[in-house]
Amino acid sequence: MGAPRTLAAKLLGGVARLVPEETRDWAVAMLRELDFIEGDWAAFFWALGSTAAILRHAVSVWRGWLKQKGKKEAGMNNTGKKALGVGLGILSALALVGCLFAGLRIIGILFPGLGLEHSGWAYWLAVMAIPEAIFVVATVLLWRKKGPIAAGILATGLAMALHVGVHFAMR
Amino acid sequence: MKLRLSPQTLLVLDAFLDHAEDWKYGYDLSRVTGLKSGTLYPILMRMAERKLLETEWEQGEPGKPPRHMYRFTPDGLRFARANATAHASGRLGQVALGRVPLGLVKA
Repeated sequence: MGAPRTLAAKLLGGVARLVPEETRDWAVAMLRELDFIEGDWAAFFWALGSTAAILRHAVSVWRGWLKQKGKKEAGMNNTGKKALGVGLGILSALALVGCLFAGLRIIGILFPGLGLEHSGWAYWLAVMAIPEAIFVVATVLLWRKKGPIAAGILATGLAMALHVGVHFAMR
Repeated sequence: MKLRLSPQTLLVLDAFLDHAEDWKYGYDLSRVTGLKSGTLYPILMRMAERKLLETEWEQGEPGKPPRHMYRFTPDGLRFARANATAHASGRLGQVALGRVPLGLVKA
């Protein structure tokens, strides 16, 4: 076996070991063909062409793998964004209820004559009726463009309604 | 199942259509088509990926390393025959590449 053929076999053998599994079969196939090529230089040039073909294929396999990985990561990011949106919706809804409740308490303290501190309907209005109405309007308005936030607001509204329902049922 | 029908691809399809049922080897295809390994194998890989070709390792004599063989799948054969016009262009491609005399081009 001449030096060019030896070099060709070593080159293809080395490349076959380095490339990904999907390309290896092809690299080995090209390596096997070397035994049937007459002429050392012909074998050498066969190996050079084969190496180029293998590397191009390996690059396309790696590129495909990276693209798939990128898509998976993008999918995870989307899930994260949605979760963040839902969380934001819940926090906004709770903040609204908290603000209304605090506002009612402040008005009660500032204007004790109104008797809001002991008024059941005032609390029901501030903590339940007004927020629920706002939640419904906000959910309808935000559903298409800010779906996750709308879902968060809706979930909070439903939880509050359920809480109040259970509260009245227990009484 | 799209395959870009370059003149080189047409040459390969042409080579496979000759005794389509027989298994063929890479080096033999290279000699028949006149394509270098760097051109021939990417075409074979694409055809195999698109399930136009089936590949197998030839179980030769014991002690001898197996050899990779290729032949059309039924889909591949249909694809090649459906592109009969392209097949004719393949002959013309051979002419263009100076591998077949114009007189040998089938009508």
